[in-house]
Amino acid sequence: MTATTKRIESPAAGLTERVRSSLSVIGSQEFILAALIVVLSLLIYSYNPRFGAERNLLNILSNSAYIAVAAIGMTLVIITGNIDISIAALIGVLGTISGQLAVHGYPVWIAWLAPVVVGILIEGVIGYFVAFLRIPAIVVTLGMASILRGGLILATGGAWIYDLPQDFFLSQKQPLGIPMPIYFMVALVILAALWMRYSPAGRAIYAIGGNKEAARLSGLSEQRVLMMVFLINGLMVGVASVLYTTQFTTIQSSVPSGLELTVITAAVVGGVSILGGSGTVIGALMGAILIRTINSGMIFVNVSAYWLQAVQGIMILLTVLVDIVRRRRQMAAIGRQ
Amino acid sequence: MGMREAEQERPTLALQLRDFALRQEGVLVAIMIVSVIVLSITSNNFLTTDNLLNQARLLTEVGLIALPMTYIIITGGIDLSVGSILGFSAVMLGWLWQEQGWPLEVAVVACIAIGTLSGLLNGLFIVYVKVPPIIMTLATLALYRGLAYGISQARSARGYPDWFFRFGAGDFLGLPTQIWFLIVGAIFSGILLARTPFGRGLYAIGNNVTGARFAGIPVDRYLLFIYTFAGFMSGLAAFIFTSRVSTTRADSGTGLELDVIAAVVLGGTSIMGGTGTITGTMLGLVLIQLLKNGLSLSGVKGDATIVVIGVVLIFAILANNFIQKRLQRA
Amino acid sequence: MPPILELEHISKRFPGVQALSDVGFDVLQGEVHALVGENGAGKSTLIKVISGVHKPDTGEMRLNGEPVEFDNPRQAQHAGIATIYQELGLYPDLSVAENIFMGHTPRNSLGMVDWPRMREQSREILASLEIFNLDVSRKVGTLTVGNRQRVEIAKALSQNARILIMDEPTAALTEADVEQLFKIVRLLQERGVSIIYISHRMQEIFTLADRVTVLRDGHYIGTKQVSDTNESDLINMMVGRTVDNLFPKLETEIGEPVLEVRDLWRKPFTLGVDLTLRAGEIVGLAGLIGSGRSELAQVIFGITPAKGGEILVDGKKVTVRHPGDAMRLGIAYVPEDRGTQGLIKQMTVRDNISLAILRSLTQGPFINRTEERSLARRMIDQLNIRAYSPSQVVEKLSGGNQQKVVVSKWLASKPRVLIMDEPTRGIDVGAKAEIHRLMSELAQQGMAVLMISSEMPEILGMSDRIIVMREGHVVAEFSREEATQERVATAMMSATNGGATIVPPIPAIEQQEGITK
Repeated sequence: MTATTKRIESPAAGLTERVRSSLSVIGSQEFILAALIVVLSLLIYSYNPRFGAERNLLNILSNSAYIAVAAIGMTLVIITGNIDISIAALIGVLGTISGQLAVHGYPVWIAWLAPVVVGILIEGVIGYFVAFLRIPAIVVTLGMASILRGGLILATGGAWIYDLPQDFFLSQKQPLGIPMPIYFMVALVILAALWMRYSPAGRAIYAIGGNKEAARLSGLSEQRVLMMVFLINGLMVGVASVLYTTQFTTIQSSVPSGLELTVITAAVVGGVSILGGSGTVIGALMGAILIRTINSGMIFVNVSAYWLQAVQGIMILLTVLVDIVRRRRQMAAIGRQ
Repeated sequence: MGMREAEQERPTLALQLRDFALRQEGVLVAIMIVSVIVLSITSNNFLTTDNLLNQARLLTEVGLIALPMTYIIITGGIDLSVGSILGFSAVMLGWLWQEQGWPLEVAVVACIAIGTLSGLLNGLFIVYVKVPPIIMTLATLALYRGLAYGISQARSARGYPDWFFRFGAGDFLGLPTQIWFLIVGAIFSGILLARTPFGRGLYAIGNNVTGARFAGIPVDRYLLFIYTFAGFMSGLAAFIFTSRVSTTRADSGTGLELDVIAAVVLGGTSIMGGTGTITGTMLGLVLIQLLKNGLSLSGVKGDATIVVIGVVLIFAILANNFIQKRLQRA
Repeated sequence: MPPILELEHISKRFPGVQALSDVGFDVLQGEVHALVGENGAGKSTLIKVISGVHKPDTGEMRLNGEPVEFDNPRQAQHAGIATIYQELGLYPDLSVAENIFMGHTPRNSLGMVDWPRMREQSREILASLEIFNLDVSRKVGTLTVGNRQRVEIAKALSQNARILIMDEPTAALTEADVEQLFKIVRLLQERGVSIIYISHRMQEIFTLADRVTVLRDGHYIGTKQVSDTNESDLINMMVGRTVDNLFPKLETEIGEPVLEVRDLWRKPFTLGVDLTLRAGEIVGLAGLIGSGRSELAQVIFGITPAKGGEILVDGKKVTVRHPGDAMRLGIAYVPEDRGTQGLIKQMTVRDNISLAILRSLTQGPFINRTEERSLARRMIDQLNIRAYSPSQVVEKLSGGNQQKVVVSKWLASKPRVLIMDEPTRGIDVGAKAEIHRLMSELAQQGMAVLMISSEMPEILGMSDRIIVMREGHVVAEFSREEATQERVATAMMSATNGGATIVPPIPAIEQQEGITK
């Protein structure tokens, strides 16, 4: 249908709209986080200038990569109103698979690709249980985490993997002096952001998370969208596992402790609503970098890194509180109009 | 009146048996009998007093926390932070005693009090700020664990006096001391759930929270209590755990929430809320311990036995969904 | 000109109730066709048949002369029939443009979402409705109720809707928003869009509609040109039934005031209410849906406690902060929605009956099961509940018996004030008569009963006194002798009733939020 009366809106209206949208950029979670990262970095730098060394800043970014990549998947999962607490176990398993393939003489590209494929498969199973058997994601992923963790010990006994081929260490490569993980992080975040914004499938994720009933009326299949989200999550976790594993010269066949919480923190702090329906991958990226900045900063200001997890817990709590308060204010403000 | 007559027709024994077999407890008892038979045939070490008593010792901490977890899941909630509360309380026990020089008795009380307060904090946010339980307890899962690491700086505390070990490594009336805590706790919690207005209120909340409020049930107070109770039990479990393993470490109780939730869900408590019993939870607890024991007797290394918990958890829920559907059709 | 939509001989039965019987209805192109009737007359069922939510049991529906059958709302949408749901169809975290185009997003040659075009087309659609001040990039969650409704209308238009169904579209709107809605409706009409308009507000029907169809008790009563009819004519058509002797109201001695409410406030539905209930008296509380009747009851019962004013029991000032307080004061509330508010359906008859008074059924800390069972038996006998045993699950009972369980629960608390909210909705005639008899007996025993009802015969037949609410205020009061169907209905619907304070419509301030405090 084309509108019968076509009116060009007044330039003034366009201007206010533009002003308002630029204002909303400043008020957005991504912007606040970016500002927070900058301010925090400056504070730490003024306390200890060594923090500002190029090497250290690159390190922070490079170490944010696997968190940010995994947080992309987590963001999608949380937008649909689900959660995945099995990813740390999954990353442990995938890393071990990757390392084993590499030491057993398989070509490096297979060692990099296999975890991605396996990650997609396992998340596919999780997605099936959640989407089609309707079991809460928290329970499925809790169970999956213990199966993976136990299975890993069962299969390897927690053995270390040494003597990996030099080619294998993807994360240690530095084209143009910039660590490889940063390229991955930037590329995947941009791709995911574009996909979420411009593909009908990406928009469907928001629709399902925002209003299931309405989405069904618009002809979207909840099951298919959920399945897709978990498969993408598998892809991201797979890539994250390669980035994580290839940064060390040896691999311990174990589960990185607390990593799922770090990734969830990055996603939540990045602005994904715990009530479903909103959130962006740029925010998740900022969340990941913020966590890493804090982590690194703690060393430079002589605070023990053992406090990091407590800080993460507080970050989740604060973000959730702000989200809830903001929503209530919004409701109240609408009421007053 | 038709109803009168119908009521006097008591269900026949066959019907009662069928009902029991359909219920999760019936299924659990059957599986348990089979497992015991299989285990005693395949392993000479299984059916020994030592082994059985030792298994009882091992399941106590999970069992204690499974009691409030049953309440919480019946109301449709969840608490993921119990393992972290255990770790945090245990660390505080060691830290207060060793670093702060508190008398050990006082430190034990403080340990339980800290657990209780941690649970209270969960409850306050869930009830009054209306943070969904999953998110709240996930955040405090990180927070309490982080506090455990931060305060202890990952240093373990050891060197407790002899009397301290009586609770976790000693015996009382021929049984491991801690199992008495579980027995008393289970009977108390079971009766509270099955026989009191409070217990009935929990079922009402889990089935229909609006209806419960309209019936004048103090929903907020009950919810606040059960999350606090979970904290208390985690604190108590922290004390027993420390006494059993003789050191406090910041990673104590990591992943414990999984064991607890698995026992509750295997025991027939619906993850969606509204149904469940303490008896079921205790059966689930014992069955999981049997399976773990069976695996380790057949040579599987300690930590790998958690595979079985994951499998059990997922299949218990599938089975539960299946049973619910059949009951609805019946 | 042939009608664009025709319905003939439509019948629809739900368990226990014939919602529509042999109803005919048609819509001309570009007309505003109002659909009126009391609550429960079958309007909602009819529009659900038209919009594909329900399939009719019998009858035929023709669109542009072609017979059609819809299996789901989506098919109806494709055929050009759109329903403006209040809020339900929107995504609060997505932008206006996206809400308008969800499901049929404009795409570019790569199959990607074409945002500029989507925004442009959204602006065009909004402009065609003469809406220029709505930023299409704004999140819908931040919009006012009026603007959200505009987004819903734009969404319907983006799907080329030819027939728009609006169900009580002005219920939550402010005065200014109502004005703008009328403007939009007229614009649409000019463009040949047909509108099925459901409203209780007579004034709106006479300003907006071309024709009006009246339903009553699931039957078609008649269709009139609005220019050929008037308000009292329509009200007569809506209520015109004889009050039969279904209501055995016993003569009672009316005693002292038990419950008094003075200037009670809780925005947005309770705006300075005064009310007195006397022992032995049944007071009927009439009003349209959204007039604030149930909300008043829930303020008195403490589910949404009052923010201002006072409640007096036996002349003494009391505070009610939650249902527990109200129960201790002898106030009981049989709520409107049996399924979610009144019962825990998965639990047994016995557990439901004892639920509100468990604390007084205890022996030490434990529930006295013998006493609980005998209470349940007593209630089952007294109210003649047809359950095969007290341990039957409530879900399996019929609607009437479920309602008796709810009533039992509150009778068990031995209240002095019983508030009954739609006590006979959706239950069969026999059970209805039993509930009425019971209410009457209770009043005779000295209980004060406040009965909220949408059924005019029930209100007229049962009440000693009738109070009418509209938009959060008590607007009229009639004695049993004064009350007639016409007078009560007029007070409910029209702003021009005689003898009662005339109150301007009050803007809805916040969404009704279930039972949150």
